Amino acid sequence: MTASKAVHALRDTLKEHGREALLPRIASAFARIAEREAKKSDVVLTVAREKDERRAHKDVKELLSELGVETRSLKTQVDDTIIGGWRLEGREHLVDASYKKQLLELYNRVTA
Amino acid sequence: MDSATVEKIIKEIGNIAPAHEGEHVGRVVAVGDGVVAIDGLSKAVMSEVLLFEEGKGKKLAGAVETQGELFGLILNLEEDGVRATILGDTSRVSEGMTVKSTGKILSVPASEELLGRVVNALGEPIDGKGPFKKTTLMPIERQAAGVIDRKGVSVPLATGTKAIDAMIPIGRGQRELIIGDRGTGKTTVAIDAIINQKYEPEDTRPICIYVAIGQKESKTARIAQQLREQGAMDYTIIVDAPASAPAALQYLAPFSGVAIGEYFMDQGRDVLIIYDDLSKQATAYRQLSLLLRRPPGREAYPGDVFYLHSRLLERACRLEKGGSITALPIIETQEGDVSGYIPTNVISITDGQMFLVTDLFNKGIRPAIDVGISVSRVGSAAQTKAMKSVAGGIKLELAQFRELEAFMQFASDLDKATADRIESGRRMVEVLKQKNGQPIPLEKQVAALYAAGHAFFLPVRVNKVTEVEKQYMDFLDGQYAKTLASIRKSGQLSEDNKKELNKAMEEFRLAHSELFSST
Repeated sequence: MTASKAVHALRDTLKEHGREALLPRIASAFARIAEREAKKSDVVLTVAREKDERRAHKDVKELLSELGVETRSLKTQVDDTIIGGWRLEGREHLVDASYKKQLLELYNRVTA
Repeated sequence: MDSATVEKIIKEIGNIAPAHEGEHVGRVVAVGDGVVAIDGLSKAVMSEVLLFEEGKGKKLAGAVETQGELFGLILNLEEDGVRATILGDTSRVSEGMTVKSTGKILSVPASEELLGRVVNALGEPIDGKGPFKKTTLMPIERQAAGVIDRKGVSVPLATGTKAIDAMIPIGRGQRELIIGDRGTGKTTVAIDAIINQKYEPEDTRPICIYVAIGQKESKTARIAQQLREQGAMDYTIIVDAPASAPAALQYLAPFSGVAIGEYFMDQGRDVLIIYDDLSKQATAYRQLSLLLRRPPGREAYPGDVFYLHSRLLERACRLEKGGSITALPIIETQEGDVSGYIPTNVISITDGQMFLVTDLFNKGIRPAIDVGISVSRVGSAAQTKAMKSVAGGIKLELAQFRELEAFMQFASDLDKATADRIESGRRMVEVLKQKNGQPIPLEKQVAALYAAGHAFFLPVRVNKVTEVEKQYMDFLDGQYAKTLASIRKSGQLSEDNKKELNKAMEEFRLAHSELFSST
């Protein structure tokens, strides 16, 4: 079923039950959900240096396809505190392949 | 750095393999008053533990100092995110911070190592005696044992307080509420019950857990000191969520306490747990619920405040396979009003209650238990035969005395029977008085009540009864130790025991005739 057909079917159902007045409220609820989803869809790739960007893009290609994100829409930022590697965050997921995380884990294992 | 550490580091570096495992995360959108609103985490579950990522944007050295220390607990699942409470310093959380889902329900560590220690609501030691070495994690929220797994209450739990053990007996696995205004000795009754457990044989001695909720830290420190001095700390654990602790920790403390208790119960051990007090826990929960924007109900408490206490107290039980948790929750009333929301809730959940009254306390009757309105619904099944045989008529006698005492203020001429009843009642009240921190073992309680029931104290001046009772106990200790041991061992007052006690009373009376003159 196409989107327009679905909307028409919904309108007909509401009309049949005498609930047509609800339509604007349903539409605004959908708009709110869509807006929220759009906000959540931002995916950010963090690298330590600009020159690491190309390699990081290559590494995250597979992950992006799993998340259903196009490489074009990926935002990239530079944060030297991650030391090296990359960090991909968005859509409620975090994949941290930064050197900082690995060094922290190493510290924890050694000091445990 | 020594060579062993360097080698360890080199080995660990060799093991590093870049992992691309994803984590389920959300983002902080608002924070304040210990509560945080988080966007995302759509797969999170109720009561799940969250980890705030403090190291983001910090240099490695800074991240090392802060990593993995700040946790949150999900309390609200909403349409577009979750609301959680911060289990630590709120000022460390900021907007935009990444929050990781751990997939774990909040748990506290439990083991034998906890005995004699003071821990916070998260089970972390706060007494400066170092971390625990080996512990088992116990979930703080667990479904209570079902009907099939439970066993009736039939084993007594001696509190060492004559008035309680005689008239409001408590059994192992029971929930007995201690209720009264502030400053009526509620905590004292509970602490005496802990101290009294030292008279129990080691193999059947209950593990005691004292949960301090919203108390002054000085009070908790004083209690810990008292227990230590009395040698009761060896089998006691203190869970402390002081008044200065965040509301979330005050709300969690009783659950942490019972989770630790369940560790011991699962091993077939008996546990005595004191919640001091649940009124403060309810207040903390109300604060938390209002911050979480849950709709307020009566007295602004949330609708599930009954469930808060019922699910906690239902975990106190006696198991068929062995092991029990006896709960003594404490509730503080305002101006003696027991019809408040929280007091009536907890009264209806527990198996009985002991009311402590300001008037009696001020008259010097301590413990200030109003026996007329105090009750133990299941404890009598657990009372020892010895105690049952001497305590049978005390409650009635005291009730009649209170009635006559009130009447006496108007009537000047009393017939002999009434006057005798009043005199006997006065002495019974004196016998039931007890100093704090001095619990009395069962056999001595039986001997004292047997004597009181046989008009032993009738010729003694009222203000001398306590002194005479003490001397008589010392006399029994010295001359009739075998009889006391026999009562303790058998839990019964045999005919031989009765004869011995009668003989003892007669001998004491002859030896101390100067004490037995009421004029």
